[in-house]
Amino acid sequence: MQWAILSGIEGNLAAYEAVLADIRRQRNPVTDLYIVGDLVGLKGDNEAVVRRVREPQPGEPIPQVCTGWWEEQCFSLHGFRGLPDAPELVERYGLGAVKDLWETVSRQTVQWLATLDFGFHELDCLLIHGSTVSYSDELTPETPPITLCDGLIRADANTLFCGRSGRAFECWIEPGALRSTVTTLDQTAAPQEQEKSPRRVVGVGNVGRVGQPAYVLYDPGADRVSFKQVQGSVAKGFGASKGLGYR
Amino acid sequence: MKLAVISCIHGNYEALDAVLCDIDNQKAEQIYCLGDLVGYGPYPNAVVEMIRSLDIPTCQGCWDEDIVEGLNACECSYPSQLAEKRGHLAHEWTNRVIHPEVREYLASLPMTLRQDNLCFVHGSPNSQHEYLLPTMDGFAALERVLAAEADVLFCGHTHVPYLRELENGTLSVRVQQPGQGETQRQFTAPLKRIVNAGSVGEPRHGRPNATYVLYDTDTTQVTLREVPYDYKKTCAAILEQGLPPIFAWRLERGMEFAERAEDAGHVCER
Amino acid sequence: MPHLIAISGPSGSGKTTWISQFLKHQSTPQYYVCPGLGDLSVDLAHIGYRFPWVQVVPEAQLTAILADLPEQATVYLEWGFHLDLGSPFLAELPWERVAVLPPDLAESDWHGWSDRIVTGNPVAAPANGYLPEIWCTPLNGQVFDPPSLEALLLEVSGGAYGQVGRMKGIFELPDGRAFHVDFVEGLPGMAYTELAIPRWLEGRPDRFSGIEVVGYGLEREAIAQTLLDSTLSDAALAQYQQHYQSLDPAEEALFV
Repeated sequence: MQWAILSGIEGNLAAYEAVLADIRRQRNPVTDLYIVGDLVGLKGDNEAVVRRVREPQPGEPIPQVCTGWWEEQCFSLHGFRGLPDAPELVERYGLGAVKDLWETVSRQTVQWLATLDFGFHELDCLLIHGSTVSYSDELTPETPPITLCDGLIRADANTLFCGRSGRAFECWIEPGALRSTVTTLDQTAAPQEQEKSPRRVVGVGNVGRVGQPAYVLYDPGADRVSFKQVQGSVAKGFGASKGLGYR
Repeated sequence: MKLAVISCIHGNYEALDAVLCDIDNQKAEQIYCLGDLVGYGPYPNAVVEMIRSLDIPTCQGCWDEDIVEGLNACECSYPSQLAEKRGHLAHEWTNRVIHPEVREYLASLPMTLRQDNLCFVHGSPNSQHEYLLPTMDGFAALERVLAAEADVLFCGHTHVPYLRELENGTLSVRVQQPGQGETQRQFTAPLKRIVNAGSVGEPRHGRPNATYVLYDTDTTQVTLREVPYDYKKTCAAILEQGLPPIFAWRLERGMEFAERAEDAGHVCER
Repeated sequence: MPHLIAISGPSGSGKTTWISQFLKHQSTPQYYVCPGLGDLSVDLAHIGYRFPWVQVVPEAQLTAILADLPEQATVYLEWGFHLDLGSPFLAELPWERVAVLPPDLAESDWHGWSDRIVTGNPVAAPANGYLPEIWCTPLNGQVFDPPSLEALLLEVSGGAYGQVGRMKGIFELPDGRAFHVDFVEGLPGMAYTELAIPRWLEGRPDRFSGIEVVGYGLEREAIAQTLLDSTLSDAALAQYQQHYQSLDPAEEALFV
C-alpha cells in the first residue's frame, strides 16, 4: 500500500500530468491518490484540471479529493457557503481575481466541488487542506509548537497531512512533560503528568502553484513519508523525476 | 487586589443578588463578568440593569450574542434535540421580553477583557461556544492560555467552577525539509492557569447553589465560592413567567436547565 | 389439563421477572397474558421479543385461546395491581394464584387472595386504598434521539412530571437497535437491555415500542410533549439510517 498525497494544482494541468506520470513510474505502486484541496486557482485551466481529476485514465488510482482555500473562494462567490463576495480573495488577490475565478470555474463545477469532503481520516492520519480549525490555516515548521501540537490534538491523528502553506516538510512534535492539577469545589485531584508519543504534521508541497511540481508519498506500513519533486513539464519524459526520500 | 469573577447568570436575579452580597462580604475590589447574562432564567432585564448600574466589565457570552444577532447557535452546540427545543423556547421568550436598551448593551459587549497578565473570556479565546472542560488535553488547554497571551485565563460557559494549573509544559519540534538538514527546537511554557468561574444562575455541579471565584492579584490565590440563595424564588418565577416548568425542576437539582454539549472540542464554524 | 397461573402483586414487585424464569424452558407450550393495558403492552411485547416461542395473547383473543388450549399448556396471567382481585374472570377458571409481594408487606388483599406468596422486590406497597395511576402509550414507528431519550428517562424517573414509582418502555434508536428500559423506585439505577431482534435500518420501524409509567400526579401532557420533542423527524432518521447502512458490518461491530 502506498499513498500519493498532493495539493495546490491550482489549474495547472501540465504540472498535474507530470505528477501523474511520476506516480505511474513508482516501483512501489501507488494504491491511493489524495488531493487535499486547491484544484482550481487563477493561473491555469481550471475546467481542464477538474475534468482530468474526475475522469482518471484506466489503471490510474481514482483521486480522492477534498476542498481547499480556492474551492472555498468559489463557494463564497457563488453564494454556496461562507461569507458572500469572497472577501478573503479580494483582500489577497484584488478585485480582478474575483472576475477571473468567476469566469474560469463554471457554476456546474462549483456544484461538484461543493459535494467534496473537508478532509479524510484514514488509519491514524488526517488529510486536510488547512487544519480542522480552518481551511485557511497555514501550518509550517515556523508555526508555534503549541499550535502545531493543538492542531494534532484537534485532528485526533498521529499524522496530519496538509497543503495550505504549499511547503514540503515533516515536522515531529514531541511533547515532553506537562503537569496538570485540577481543583474543584469538592477536591484537589492529584497532579497528572501528561505525556504523549511524538506526532507529526506533514506539508505535502504544491503541484502547480510555484516552482517544480511537488507531492509526497506515504507508505502506511512502514510509516514512511518521502518527498517527491518532478522535473519540468510532462514533455521531458523518462528519467525526469527525482525522488527525495529519507528518514 | 482582590478580584471577583462571575459568569453565566442567565436571568437569575436572586442568585446574582446573593453572589453580589457575598462579594461584598469577601471585600473584593473589582468584579469581572464573563457573559451569558440572559437566557433560560426569568429576569434578564433586571440582571443586565444590575450589572450596568455597578459598571461591571463584562464580555459577551453565547446567549448574549444570540439575543443580539438572532439565534446563531447551530444545532451542534446543543447536546440533544430535546435541549435544542428547550433552548429555542427560552430564546423566544427572552427575545420577546428583553428591553431595547438591554439588547443594545449586550451588542456592545467585547469578546475579551484584559487586565495585566489576566485574560477574561466566556468560552475560550477561540470561541464563545468552546467548552474548556477540566478534562481537556493538557497541551490543548495550555494552547488556549498561550493564545490569549495571558498567565491566567478566566472562562465560564461550562457552569462548573474549577482551577487548573499547568506546569512544566515542554515540547520539542524536529523538522525535516527536502534538501535541508534536520533542525530542532525546544519550547517551554511557564506556569499557566485556567480559572473557570462556574455559574451564578445556572449551576451544574449537582447542588443548586450559585458559584463564582475570587482571585488575589498579589498572592495569585484562587478561591472557588459556593453561595446558597433562595432558588425556590427563581423556580417560582420561572413558572410564573410561563417558561418551561422543567427549567425549575432542573435548577432545583443543580442540573442546569439544559445539559451541555458532550463534544468539548467542538467549535461551531458558524 | 392445562396449568393456569394468575400472578398479582404491587407495581414493581417483580411479577414479570418471576414469570420470565419459567418462560426460558421451551419443552411445553406456554402462553402469556397481561390484560388491562390494551392490545399490546410493554410487558407483552417484551416477553414476545425475549421468548419468541411463547405465545403472547392479546386481550381480545384471550377467551378464544383459553377455550382451546393444548393439554400440556401453561398459561401465565399477569394480573396488574390496578385490576380487581375479585373479578369474575378470575373466579371462572381454576387459576393457581401467586402473589409476588415485597418482603415487609404483612397484610394486604393479595394475602387473602393468593394460594402462594413469593417474595419479590422491596418496593413500597401503595398506601391504603390509594392506587397509583398508569399512563401508557404505544410509540410504534418513533425513533429517539439517544441523548434526548437519556435526559427524558432521567427526568421522568426523577419525578419531573409527577411522582413515578415505575417506568418501563421499549424504545427504538437510530442505529436500528431497540432497548427495553425498566425503572423501579427504590431499586438502584435503571436497567437497559438491548432486545435480540433484527436491526431496523429502513424507514420507521414497523413493530411495537411504547412506554408505561406508574405513579401519582402524572403530568401526562408534559410527558407526551417531552417524548415528542425527543423523537427524530423523517429527515433526521433518513440521515442516520444512511450513515449506519454505509458502515461496514465488521467495523461497526467494534462500536457496539
